[in-house]
Amino acid sequence: MTMTNCWPVPAPVAPPMIEITNVTKSFGDVVAVSDVTFSVAAGVTALLGPNGAGKSTLFRVMCGLTPPTRGTVRVLGADARTDRAVRGRIGLAPQQDALFDRLSGRGFVEVAARTHGVADPQGAAREALGHVELDADDHTPVGSYSKGMRQRIKLAAALVNDPDVLILDEPLTGLDPVQRNRMIRLFHDLGDRGKCLLVSSHVLDEVARLGSNVLVIAQGRLAATGDYRAIRDLMDDRPHRIRITADDPRALAAALVARSLVDGLSVSATGLVVDTTDVAGFGRSIAVVARDLGVRLREVAPLDDDLESVFRYLVERR
Amino acid sequence: MSGSVSPLAALRLVYGLILRQLVTRGRLIALLLVGVVVGGVAAAVGSSDSVDDPLEAAVRVIADLGFITLVPVVALVFASAALGDARDDGTLVYLWLRPMDRWPVVVGAWLAAVTVSLPLTIVPLGIAALLVDGGGTLVSATVIASVVGVLAYSALFVLFGLLFRNSIVWGLGYVLVWEGIVAAFGDFAAKLAIRGYTRSIITSRTGVDLDLGDLSFGVAVVVPLVAAAAALVVASFRLRRMEVA
Repeated sequence: MTMTNCWPVPAPVAPPMIEITNVTKSFGDVVAVSDVTFSVAAGVTALLGPNGAGKSTLFRVMCGLTPPTRGTVRVLGADARTDRAVRGRIGLAPQQDALFDRLSGRGFVEVAARTHGVADPQGAAREALGHVELDADDHTPVGSYSKGMRQRIKLAAALVNDPDVLILDEPLTGLDPVQRNRMIRLFHDLGDRGKCLLVSSHVLDEVARLGSNVLVIAQGRLAATGDYRAIRDLMDDRPHRIRITADDPRALAAALVARSLVDGLSVSATGLVVDTTDVAGFGRSIAVVARDLGVRLREVAPLDDDLESVFRYLVERR
Repeated sequence: MSGSVSPLAALRLVYGLILRQLVTRGRLIALLLVGVVVGGVAAAVGSSDSVDDPLEAAVRVIADLGFITLVPVVALVFASAALGDARDDGTLVYLWLRPMDRWPVVVGAWLAAVTVSLPLTIVPLGIAALLVDGGGTLVSATVIASVVGVLAYSALFVLFGLLFRNSIVWGLGYVLVWEGIVAAFGDFAAKLAIRGYTRSIITSRTGVDLDLGDLSFGVAVVVPLVAAAAALVVASFRLRRMEVA
């Protein structure tokens, strides 16, 4: 993956297979993806972002399903929207659940194989179903499949043409932990074989297991790129905002400033809101400070501990 | 492992797939019932002793119920769903992101819609024409008009399925408002109404005068087929350029 951010990262070991340059995608007045630039080489790369961040839109643009409003997209050196051949080298597992519900699992994957012009569609379907551990002889219509089975059948359909580029939109959603582990192992196997896998998720811990290459997208913008551990550290080191309700907020505020426990604060009649980069130290000290002052604490609550605010911070710091 | 898909192979694939998706028990039962009602009413009117000219009465019922209601509605239900359903539910991506030309997808979907719609229209209307004792002329005119109508309406509504999210509503708007109201007030509008051509086929074969039925047999057959081809070309172009969810 070519890095565009400030963290130390390994040099790309292979030429990029996906190149996104200054891509913006708008729907009317709504900007879904804003001026995004990155490239991805062989291996597993995670695209991390909250729901609505623009991950699926970015995937659709990559696959040519929708044209970018501005910028250029190249997958294997071509534009999938206009290049028929390159469409045969992409495997997409879309986020939406819809399948051809009246087909059996094998029928669905065989259709995918045939529409890709695979020489032995039955054999390829059987092999792809084996990869995702679904029974090729099960004739149950996919319409009656569970969420996890639907996810796996989509994966099988994406794999059936042995694509060079795999774009997987939230493929682990709905899978149980055992299936999740197996799928992650499969992704790494494919990556090791020189395939380019771009896997989206909105779950931080899931991304940790997908691999070290991470793209973070939030509010349609690329918030961070690089090694997972560096991004994780950055997220942990961000300033935290905490609301404190107490019976003497002014005295408490003065004491916190005097002891350098906060980076900033605002005081109201009923409490205060503080900013700190040392959440752990603040947590250890606040009760002691209050006790020493004889101030009664009614509430100490983080205001920005949700993932959304983490992503917002990453966007704002760029 | 992946290769190119020939247009014929793509057409066969899409045809089989869409046909399987289209044929649901609910749709078939509902439209069979409509067909039975239309055929039954036509037969009842044609065999009634209270009408002066049973043939004319039967022709009018077949033309009005058959070619104003049954043919466009059956074609609308299946053709608008042929690609419209896939577009709306997101499964179109499984046909779009493939190394295939676009036109076989459109033509395959159209043929699937036609395959289901034809028996659901020809059989009840043909039986009605037989029951009213209209003779071979009315039967053949009904069959030809049904085929032409189904081919043309289906192509138009396949296009609607790719153009509009609520293609059924737009299709009903075309059938009820454009063909039902607007076409009655102007020659140009009438020329854009498939109904005028199907009714003209009946008129030219049976000699019974019908509103919007003043075209020659040749024109009434050829123009809707040319329009159908044009609609399929536009639909193919639309599929190539559209944004897929």
